[in-house]
Amino acid sequence: MSSLIATASTSGQQRIEQTTCCYCGVGCGVTATIENDVVVAVKGREDHPANLGRLCVKGSSLHQTQYSPDRLLKPRLHGEEVSWDQALDYSAQKFNTIIAEHGPDAVAFYLSGQLLTEDYYVANKLIKGFIGTANVDTNSRLCMASAVVAHKRAFGNDAVPGCYEDLEKTDLLILVGSNAAYAHPVTFQRIVKAKQERPNMKVVVLDPRRTPTCDIADIHIPLAPGSDAYFFNGLLSYLAAHNALDQQYIEQFTEGFDAALNIAQTQSPSVQSVAQVCDVSAPLIDQVYQLFASTEKVVTLFSQGINQSSSGVDKGNAIINCHLATGKIGKEGACPFSITGQPNAMGGREVGGLANQLAAHMGFDKQEDIDRVERFWQAPNMAQAEGLKAVDMFKAVDEGKIKAIWIMATNPVVSMPDADFVKRALEKCELVIVSEAIADTDTAKTADVLLPATTWSEKHGTVTNSERCISLQKGFLAPPGEARHDWDIMAMFARKMGFAHGFNYRHQAEIFREHAALSALDNAHTRAFDISAMADISDEAYDNLEPIQWPVTQATPEGSKRLFSDGYFFTPSTKAQFIAVKARLPVQAPATGEVIMNTGRIRDQWHTMSRTGTSANLLSHTEEPYLDVHPKDAERFGLSENTIVELSNRGARFLGRVKINTAQRPGEVFAPMHWNDKYAASSRADALVNPFIDPICGQPEFKHSPVKIRPHPTTWTGFLVTTRDIKPCADYWAKMTSDAGYRYRLADTQNVDYGQWLKAQFADITDWQVLTDSANKTYRAAGYIGNVLVVVFNACVGNDMPQEGRWLDKQIGCLLDDVTRYAILAGNEGNGGADEGAIICSCYQIGENAIKAAISDGCASAQALGETLKCGTNCGSCIPELNALIQLIHSE
Amino acid sequence: MAAGRIVDELMIRAPERFNITVIGDEPQGSYNRIMLSPVLAGEATAQSIVQKPAAWFAENGIRFMAGVRVVRINRSAKTVECDNDESVAYDHLIMATGSRPARIPARNQDIAGVMAFRTLDDVDTILTLGETAQHAIVVGGGLLGLEAAYGMAVRGIDVTLIHRSGWLLNRQLDGASGDLLANVMTHKGVRFRLSAEVDCFNGQRHVESVTLSTGETLPCDIAVIATGITPNAELGINAGLAGQRGIEVDDYLATSDPNISAIGECSEHNGQTFGLVEPIWQHCISLADRLALNVRTAYKNTPVATKLKVSGVQVFSAGEWLTNETHRELVYSDVARNTYRKLLLRDDRIVGIVFFGDVRDGQYFFELMEHAVPVAEALPQLLMGRAFCSALPDVKLVQDPVAA
Repeated sequence: MSSLIATASTSGQQRIEQTTCCYCGVGCGVTATIENDVVVAVKGREDHPANLGRLCVKGSSLHQTQYSPDRLLKPRLHGEEVSWDQALDYSAQKFNTIIAEHGPDAVAFYLSGQLLTEDYYVANKLIKGFIGTANVDTNSRLCMASAVVAHKRAFGNDAVPGCYEDLEKTDLLILVGSNAAYAHPVTFQRIVKAKQERPNMKVVVLDPRRTPTCDIADIHIPLAPGSDAYFFNGLLSYLAAHNALDQQYIEQFTEGFDAALNIAQTQSPSVQSVAQVCDVSAPLIDQVYQLFASTEKVVTLFSQGINQSSSGVDKGNAIINCHLATGKIGKEGACPFSITGQPNAMGGREVGGLANQLAAHMGFDKQEDIDRVERFWQAPNMAQAEGLKAVDMFKAVDEGKIKAIWIMATNPVVSMPDADFVKRALEKCELVIVSEAIADTDTAKTADVLLPATTWSEKHGTVTNSERCISLQKGFLAPPGEARHDWDIMAMFARKMGFAHGFNYRHQAEIFREHAALSALDNAHTRAFDISAMADISDEAYDNLEPIQWPVTQATPEGSKRLFSDGYFFTPSTKAQFIAVKARLPVQAPATGEVIMNTGRIRDQWHTMSRTGTSANLLSHTEEPYLDVHPKDAERFGLSENTIVELSNRGARFLGRVKINTAQRPGEVFAPMHWNDKYAASSRADALVNPFIDPICGQPEFKHSPVKIRPHPTTWTGFLVTTRDIKPCADYWAKMTSDAGYRYRLADTQNVDYGQWLKAQFADITDWQVLTDSANKTYRAAGYIGNVLVVVFNACVGNDMPQEGRWLDKQIGCLLDDVTRYAILAGNEGNGGADEGAIICSCYQIGENAIKAAISDGCASAQALGETLKCGTNCGSCIPELNALIQLIHSE
Repeated sequence: MAAGRIVDELMIRAPERFNITVIGDEPQGSYNRIMLSPVLAGEATAQSIVQKPAAWFAENGIRFMAGVRVVRINRSAKTVECDNDESVAYDHLIMATGSRPARIPARNQDIAGVMAFRTLDDVDTILTLGETAQHAIVVGGGLLGLEAAYGMAVRGIDVTLIHRSGWLLNRQLDGASGDLLANVMTHKGVRFRLSAEVDCFNGQRHVESVTLSTGETLPCDIAVIATGITPNAELGINAGLAGQRGIEVDDYLATSDPNISAIGECSEHNGQTFGLVEPIWQHCISLADRLALNVRTAYKNTPVATKLKVSGVQVFSAGEWLTNETHRELVYSDVARNTYRKLLLRDDRIVGIVFFGDVRDGQYFFELMEHAVPVAEALPQLLMGRAFCSALPDVKLVQDPVAA
């Protein structure tokens, strides 16, 4: 299956480049078509092991997001554009002064899973070896820190045992805390296809929400949030009780089984006890336990639902325990599988670019490791101990202990728990350096020094995906303006700090070879991460690197699909470790009148939307922040569909549109994590997340925040369509990108004179067209400059949103003739201009209404719809929704 | 005009039945008075608006007494006496004597150069004077005044229009649309003095200037008074027919004398007199049905849409036009396009239409109003017109309450 969506005509000189997608941890290979230095089309790379030709909707839109109107093109110092020398001189001098006065622990780096491995390597080397502190952490802390530690505790090293192929070859796939359909769409589609081909393959989903991933589930366990470890401890007890253990494997290759079983049996002795804690019917649980016990090939795929927890490490180990106890690891179709969120979180882990890692699977817990790395780097100021992890790092910024922080390629003001606290901490920090591609992220706004970095299609280097596959993310376009690569920026900075040697890299390959050499150093099969066979890769071979799964050694020069097949683990005893897990529920239970807020991804957005938010196509699927609410809660709290709801916690508010959804458990709501101050007035869900962290790995509890909930006291609602990027003066607004401008949805708590309200925000416009209603139920107006439509505003009293037509998006910014001008306030072109409804298929922009009509006309399957309308035939991520619509229409 | 039309309607229904005599004091025969403004503006010729030249009457066996005035009706003898001393007998008399310009309370309004805008003769006079005139005054900002002012302005005369109300067409438009109209007319070369009246016409034999109630004096070689009409009802009233301002008629246009009917501007129906053409056509149809076919078609006093005959200026007004607290008012305005569209709703039905600048679908709304169609479903884009009101039933399909 391949996909190709072109947006430009294909004339002129074309070239084809192979690269890797910059979004999620699936790490798909991408074939890009470039014409006149513009990516005109992308498609899935047929021969990439991660995707085999597929691409999801985000990946399919890579070419549409290559230009941001807010691209940062020049360095800025305190808001003024300056030269690179000025920006870095200032920054280096300031770092040196702060370090001289307060020591190296007064500075910090906060990195990102979006950085390439080479960037990570230079950052890690600079701060741990030369500056002399391990205050380097990354947004991966928010994503998979739990899995890292769980792996280390069980396997001795942070290594994913399996590969994607195992997901297809398994007979029982248990997805835990993973909405792969949205978060890892290509992997999900491989699973869908495998299940279609082998209907006997069973799929079980453990998730408090009935997510689109459940569409393919044979069994969905809607367990209570955070109760997963009880479930897996219960499974361990069950396996022991039902004689389903692999005694030989346990004895030969593992240690600590008795202690782990003991505590599991104490806490979760029976299916009944698990059913009670997990709030799921016992027979359902029993069914899953039986399946696990009776199936040889089992993969447990776990993700953020496990990781983002105050007991995430233990949950990971509770899962791994079950696989070790049954020997379901290191075999085709059998393993515990942590799927990561970001494109290069894994690369960061390999480099060791986290506060509690040293480098290349070496840690601060062994002095010989520290000494070895110091020798290798010829490091003048080798850090000797772990540094501060993300939450503590920003706490130290707030307390003034960290006085300078350099944030690269991430947006913690949106993504961190208690994000308002992070914002305040940064605002008072002495020196905030931000390296970014986008000039006005919420975090960039706090920067003293803002450095223009390269992005996808410009950056050149390697990334590692969730199956240990190293791929080249290729740079094939020249950086715009004065943007530079992150490694290059850091190397320049290092030289300006006075580190004459160690940072004179001329090419990414030099960094990669050094990284590979370090992985090989004194590594007599003692560290899993070993790419020694790549330590002398030529520049040319590097520039054309084919995807390869580590370890890559003399023994495995073609890479390694699976680890631990031989029962050898990277622990001192070389045996896998059972961890005695005492399951815990989330830190804080909801008080009376509160609900539990869960957060997560939606299908078509990536993280804080800095890139995906610029694509009208991607925003059209889910246009604004929303809240999934169970009908019982809607009734209990007086919430109506499509009205605005207000959540609050920690002094922060989340405003979103109510979606009444039986997929939620009563008492639990779901808010998307993506929205931020650039796209909405007050919809940073993470600002409401308590900074409760896992005591071992420091990962925050994003999935479980008790919050207050109430209907937003809306007095009027409306929408604005305009060419201008504004911040409307309303209590609630959400911004959507259209092809020529923006669309805002509005809700306010104050009665206003609409005309005055509008004119105050577009004071320079004098040419207005207005539709008023003395009953004051509606107001519409359009503003023009020189007959170019600049703004359209519609308002309605109360909670009923005025009807929107996408037709207006196509008129904005256009020089209008009088016929069109007349129709503007109607919002459509009159007869024949039917509204498309919400866009379901983002790839082909097929709206809900057309799909419903086609279903009514006889399309009874997603495939039939695809043949008729093309919807779902590109990336396929809308297929669950197509199926839902088919069901809906057929049930009506 | 009414006379010409009733003859047509009778001839269509019963060409051989009646022996018809038409007596009129104008020499030209029957012409389309509503086209006087285009003639003045040079957009139509005088000849083109004459509908029935004298020869037509002869060809159709109708006696046409042009330039003759009836001075008395002898109801008992069933004759009319003319100013040429002739007496004409009738079985049935139709009065279509029309109206005359209303006088204004200004001094010295009978001097030369001060005139009405009512007949082809008036147009002739204006055009003759206009050849040398530099400054013209038009009194009255109604349809006729505006058309007269425009007609002179396009002929290069400096025209100032004096209007008693605060805005133009104050019987059809509200203040906002009246202001837009003033704006548009200003660009067509007409100046305005609003909320003003003529106090006095100055000059010995021929008007030279006017003094306004505000004290201002404006130069003036020609003054056209177009402040309204007075029904020519005296002939009937003096003959003892019932009536206040006009000759009173019932729903079938019969006067208090069953042998006499009255139509057009001289008549008064349910206390209302007439100045627009549409109801007069309805009078003719109703009366012709009764006289020729003995069919009783009631004339119904329905709202009438107003249109202004000034090139490039579109006005459509029907029903109520001033917003009050009983209305729900919807307004579309586009100042840069000089467009203003207002609908007045009561109980979810349209009761008033005021369109200026863009009058599209005026008739559609007129029908929605006539048929009292509930419009809530099409709000608020109702105002945009039929193409944007797919939520409403097609008015053609709405059952006509009159016929029902």
